[in-house]
Amino acid sequence: MSGDARGWRIALIPDTVLNPQQQSAGSLPDVLCVLEANGYGVLQLPSAGAHRLLLAVIADQVAEYAHHGYAVVAIGLRGPSENGLHWRRLVPLLRRRGVVPPVRHFIRPHRDVEGESRRLSAFLADYDLPQEEQRRWRV
Amino acid sequence: MPQSEPRKVALIANCLLNQNAKVCEGAHYRGVVTPVVEALRNRGYLLQQLPCPELAFAGVRRRWAVYEQYDTPAYRDHCRRLAQAVAPLIEGYLRRGDEVILIGLDGSPSTGVRFTSSRPDWGGRPNRPEDDWEVVRGRGIWIEELEAELARRGLPPLPATGWALDMGRLDEAASRAELEEFLDSRTGTAGSRGGEPAS
Repeated sequence: MSGDARGWRIALIPDTVLNPQQQSAGSLPDVLCVLEANGYGVLQLPSAGAHRLLLAVIADQVAEYAHHGYAVVAIGLRGPSENGLHWRRLVPLLRRRGVVPPVRHFIRPHRDVEGESRRLSAFLADYDLPQEEQRRWRV
Repeated sequence: MPQSEPRKVALIANCLLNQNAKVCEGAHYRGVVTPVVEALRNRGYLLQQLPCPELAFAGVRRRWAVYEQYDTPAYRDHCRRLAQAVAPLIEGYLRRGDEVILIGLDGSPSTGVRFTSSRPDWGGRPNRPEDDWEVVRGRGIWIEELEAELARRGLPPLPATGWALDMGRLDEAASRAELEEFLDSRTGTAGSRGGEPAS
């Protein structure tokens, strides 16, 4: 695609990571900045709650990307059983659309924030589709 | 449980956080549209990404189109379904007294707020740049349907503006200045549950 700047890589991220609450902001890396620096686009997952229709809409979008040469990852929070990714509901929606669930990376809150930021950046920088898939789609 | 402080929430067009959603040859950034996100975060806005109606309808390999081409009953039905999916979130923000604003994509046939794209005679094989579209005042179809859904729920019109990504040539500095002026004009309005919609 001539003159098109897209990065072909997308991260699913929980609302709590995109919009950390004031009390937790200092315990998390600035994930949006790290994603920007690595050229990723964002698909925001909704905050805790039912969101049945919205999750289906998000699964449709992930399927469209996954079927057309885009690399999709998911960034969650290590610790609570609900890490913001709605995984138990999202995975069946993805499988029904013929999509293998994205690779997940977990941020460890309250650890060394700089270190967590570097760990996330390294994960994002390393992740992409195999070269053959990239050549097939990214022309 | 005590009601916490009202927050500032920005509903933002899907592609302002993810340029991979743009039509072929339409992405100006790798992923996040940094100036928009910076302007919002610097002013304390929470971000709420809207779904991309075109991506889910016509796919990620779609070509560009104008308002008239998307103005079909099937596409409007699709936009209404998306609006019904996201409206409960928006309603939740408004009911708790948060200030909610909308940042769309001016010039877009779907997500335009102040301007959309028009060419009633477009059709068949695209021939860009010869077939240039016209920018006209008005909402895109997705924004029309989203606003209609919010109105059906008895919610007030949202103050709104657009980032001029689909207006032809992008003047990033001017767009940013315009966005910041819009945001700064709203300083101190958290909890107002709406306000005047942008023209």
